[in-house]
Amino acid sequence: MNPESSSGGHCPSFMFNSLPPQQQFSSLIANHPISGIVKPDPGWPEFSVYGGQLGNGYLNQNTPGVADQTFTPANSATVSPKKRKADKVPSLQVVSEKDKKIKGCAEEGDSKITHQYSNCDNKSSNSKEASNASSKEKSKVSEVQKPDYIHVRARRGQATDSHSLAERVRREKISERMKYLQDLVPGCNKITGKAGMLDEIINYVQSLQKQVEFLSMKLATVNPELDFNIDSIFTKEMLQSPIQGLGCSSETAADFQLNSMEQLVSYCGLDMDINSTEMALRRSISSPIRIPETFMESSCFNQIQPTATWDADLQNLYKMEFEQGTLIPFQSHQFTGSNDGSNMKMEM
Amino acid sequence: MSASQQLTPTNPNSALKIRLAYRFLLTLNTLNAKKPPNFDHTQIHRRSHRVKIAAYASMASVVGPKRAWSRAILWKIRNRGMLARNKKRIHRISTPIRLHRHHARRRRNPNRVVHVDPFVNSGLEVKLRKLVPGAETIDPCGLLDETADYIKYLATQVEVMRNLVDLYSTI
Repeated sequence: MNPESSSGGHCPSFMFNSLPPQQQFSSLIANHPISGIVKPDPGWPEFSVYGGQLGNGYLNQNTPGVADQTFTPANSATVSPKKRKADKVPSLQVVSEKDKKIKGCAEEGDSKITHQYSNCDNKSSNSKEASNASSKEKSKVSEVQKPDYIHVRARRGQATDSHSLAERVRREKISERMKYLQDLVPGCNKITGKAGMLDEIINYVQSLQKQVEFLSMKLATVNPELDFNIDSIFTKEMLQSPIQGLGCSSETAADFQLNSMEQLVSYCGLDMDINSTEMALRRSISSPIRIPETFMESSCFNQIQPTATWDADLQNLYKMEFEQGTLIPFQSHQFTGSNDGSNMKMEM
Repeated sequence: MSASQQLTPTNPNSALKIRLAYRFLLTLNTLNAKKPPNFDHTQIHRRSHRVKIAAYASMASVVGPKRAWSRAILWKIRNRGMLARNKKRIHRISTPIRLHRHHARRRRNPNRVVHVDPFVNSGLEVKLRKLVPGAETIDPCGLLDETADYIKYLATQVEVMRNLVDLYSTI
């Protein structure tokens, strides 16, 4: 698959000056750091590939930077290119600053940009011969600032034409995302290769969707007790406080009604914590402490077992439970295996 | 100690859970308020369908229009009346099917079927595109991105629902 190229075609950078300033300008606008990068939608910033472009700086550190930007859209402000070792540093950073100022001032930006790019071009044309000579030597793949094009350095002993370089960039992007997915999908550490991973991902998504369906059916049957539950939940919350030494018993029923939603929300948001405290209330107060690992295994789908005790060091208890809370995502994979069994259990 | 009531979320995951839970509970409440729940067999089936739609809708609306999958879900839900009508029409009438299809698909449908060349693995790609909403027409790179986001939100939604079920069934 060939990379898309913008309408003007992408000449090598030493000819950049010959592009009409307006095109430079519009291309810089279109690839403004904030608007251009983190669109997850169709429309990745169009790019073309330059073979053996810029100085000696190795820029592997740029790719993790790009990955971070993709996956944390909140970070879009810090898109300016990462540190580059080569002599390119001052000019490129200046250029990127110009990028940011572009939106404000059109005309001045224009002339400045052409000026900067001419600087850039001279340097890059100088370094191009040097880099062409040295492209066969050891160097790493790099990505540059976002305007328009992605500079890729050919690796040692690999083809240097633009098609294969573009291919390589694409493949690396895809493999980055596959790695991220590997972290998301539980139980995928041992599987290598795209096909197996895709299989796992598909299975996981299907199982999640089936769980949503099953849970919605359960909610539909259980839900009728909603109003009643809110009150009872709230009174139990109030019951907990005297035990812990809080004196909140002065709240009235009206306040209960108002706050019931938040209470419910805090219930759900705090997962095992509240569940365990509730369990403790329903059973006796002096039930034995459970070890964190065993508590982890007793999932929500399986039987709910007595969990915690109310003793003086509740802080310790909550710390344990927060740790368990973070381990919850890893349980869902186990659930899918035991889902059918537990389905039968619940239905009976 | 107000630990049990005012525990602040210590990681972004629980903040997300709280948002999802809140949204979902709102829709559930409106569902319950509208129709008094009864234990009729068919009614339960219908209610569960509505709850499922509410779950997806709340999940998508927490994300907003930032993601392709959330937009696709919201579009599907908003237009499910129209989609149902189009389906019925297509099934009943035999000959003008093609014309109707053109008509139906002309509205800005993010779920339109477009033949995309899969990048490496044909069968699996297409399957994934069908599973993730709104992912039929995305390039393969963005597809993996959307899948990751979708999985994250879906997993948290499942957790929230599971906790709710627990809550209701044990009280």
